[in-house]
Amino acid sequence: MALHFDASVLTGSLPALAEGFATTIAVWMGGVLIGMAIGFAIALLQIFCGKWVRGFLRAYIEIFRGTPFLVQLFVLYYGGPSFGLSLEPLTAGIVGLGLYGSAYFAEAFRSGFTSVPRGHIEAAECLGFTRLQVIMRVQLPQMLVIIVPALTNLIIVLSKETAVLSVVTVPELTFVLTGIGSEKFAFVETLLALCVCYLVLVEVASRAGQWVELRVGRFLTR
Amino acid sequence: MFSLHALLDALPLLIKAAQATVLISLVGLVVGFVVAIGVCSARLSKNVFVSKLGGAYVGFFRGVPLLVQLLLTYYFLPFIGINVPPLVAAAAAVSLCEAAYLAEILRGGFIGIPHGQLEAAQLLGLSRVHAVLRIQVPQALRMTLPSLVNEMVMLVKASSLISVVGVADVTRTAQNIAASTYRPLEAYVAAGLVYLVINGALSLAGHRAERRLAQG
Amino acid sequence: MKKPINGNTPAQAEYIVDARHVGKHFGTLKVLDDVSLAVRKSEVTCIIGPSGSGKSTLLRSLAFLEEYGEGEIFIEGELLGYVMDRSGKRVRAPQAEINRVRRNVGMVFQQFNLWPHMTAMENVAEALIRVRKLPKAEAHKRALAMLDKVGLADRANNHPARLSGGQQQRVAIARALAMEPHIMLFDEPTSALDPELVGEVLQVMKDLANDGMTMVIVTHEMGFAAQVADTVVFIDHGKIAAHGSPEDVFHNAQQPRLRQFLQNYLDRNAFWARREEPAPGVVPVATESSRI
Repeated sequence: MALHFDASVLTGSLPALAEGFATTIAVWMGGVLIGMAIGFAIALLQIFCGKWVRGFLRAYIEIFRGTPFLVQLFVLYYGGPSFGLSLEPLTAGIVGLGLYGSAYFAEAFRSGFTSVPRGHIEAAECLGFTRLQVIMRVQLPQMLVIIVPALTNLIIVLSKETAVLSVVTVPELTFVLTGIGSEKFAFVETLLALCVCYLVLVEVASRAGQWVELRVGRFLTR
Repeated sequence: MFSLHALLDALPLLIKAAQATVLISLVGLVVGFVVAIGVCSARLSKNVFVSKLGGAYVGFFRGVPLLVQLLLTYYFLPFIGINVPPLVAAAAAVSLCEAAYLAEILRGGFIGIPHGQLEAAQLLGLSRVHAVLRIQVPQALRMTLPSLVNEMVMLVKASSLISVVGVADVTRTAQNIAASTYRPLEAYVAAGLVYLVINGALSLAGHRAERRLAQG
Repeated sequence: MKKPINGNTPAQAEYIVDARHVGKHFGTLKVLDDVSLAVRKSEVTCIIGPSGSGKSTLLRSLAFLEEYGEGEIFIEGELLGYVMDRSGKRVRAPQAEINRVRRNVGMVFQQFNLWPHMTAMENVAEALIRVRKLPKAEAHKRALAMLDKVGLADRANNHPARLSGGQQQRVAIARALAMEPHIMLFDEPTSALDPELVGEVLQVMKDLANDGMTMVIVTHEMGFAAQVADTVVFIDHGKIAAHGSPEDVFHNAQQPRLRQFLQNYLDRNAFWARREEPAPGVVPVATESSRI
């Protein structure tokens, strides 16, 4: 059986490829931003709120971490109309990715808050800082530095999850390339191209993350 | 609106389909673990070429999304003449992918053992093999066990992607139910519940095992 | 100024800190048992005792970093940490009230607890800006003056990671001083320091005492306590086992536990090699005060 690789399949569809790549980046960034915003809000609420709210938030986190991303997307995109929520694939993709990521970001921020040494908080309390001031001036600056590796890891994980969005017809990279693959019956070329694209994406993101870690980690003592 | 009845109706079929999900996850963990030992040894090897090869393996399987790997296995294997049922192709893809993550966990476990312990063993006269088996391996296992349970949970969730290549797991069955009953919300929420229960049970079992290991 | 909501007579302000029958439980363990301590203005009180005796717990209670369950602690006449609710029952005070009562109490910790993302200057100025609401320029001026007082004006722009342990602790002292406290609490300030760095911190504390600062210090530095303290308190198993001037406690120790504690200390720290008479003509090293 002859092995056959036709690169013209790819070179002929560069515009579509570029669009798909751009969509991937857009959904990825949108999801990350939403996820971080919600996750941070959850972590803050967990500090300030009472038992019931905390219990609800705990359930939220467990649900989004305990079920597959694909199933969450299906509930949102296919199940949404049942309770009045009809979303475009792209919107559903960004929202879905954001909700999925928010649970993980919430856990990262929570561990960040608790990782600031108790003594630093006590020193601030003794000097008369209010609760909010302690969070803003002592905990946040330190914790953001400490959790940078966890955050970059999550961001990279989310970049790979964008591939799943192809199943709900979001026109990102995987959707576009597998579409071309079926059309031109050139699965191997397109799939290998997909692999290369994601490897490049992940590598660039990793390097960026390391750079951020280096720049920000200078002030950390014990 | 939401029909509890439809949800409950969907459950029995989904629970049956959970067999495929759990099976694939187990196979992925076990086969993946075996492959991971090989990859981890390669990574820790003194031979530069071998360790780079291991590094490339890990880089590829952790850098490319699992969905793409599944599609690749599904289309690539027939391409080179290997014809296997979708379930086997999916299991292979999941195992190879999981092996990369497990290899990193194992590597972390081995590196995390303080070097002084091996030195002490050497001074006491223990042979190299003895030191590895009796000192490094038990500790590596102890340190990596929580991560292993975590990986199992990740596997169960990741296995939902095998629905895309046609394997009749929980997700695929939920899709069928949704198509035939026109009640997608209930079908998928039911699927989510099934996954939650599986993962919850796994986490509980994992905590129990952790506690027992910590005492021993 | 807000009127205190826990009516205590101002006559009790004779003492800057007045702890009465303070007790604290940790589960079933009684960590502090009927501890009473009164500190006058400009007095230096040193608290000594074995590990786990409750001395740190007592000190931290004086700053309400530990909730003491029983007894009362008055800071300049005001009850610390608790208020009376309408039915006359004692409840934990709101945070603003706690902060208000302890606004004139400064604390220095064993682990320094400088904030690593700020420079020395920023560490000292931060509370002046956020709590005292001083304008930035004014706060920085005061901070620099404080750093100068502890001998670190030239290191004002360094981050804690670039400072030695002794320097970090001195910055921590400056940080507490900047708020112009009426009393300073020190929780084993030199225990985390390399031996060579202990001296510079003790010197700053000696200067503070000479300037008339009221201080309560938990310490293992017996020589320092002997030289500087007006009162020495020995705590054992949560109780005050001995209490008096350094002369009383160190040289006329009656209490058996105290004698044992002091003997253990001497055994560990004296540096004539054997427990025999020193060679004739050799003057034995007097006390640990030679370390300063």
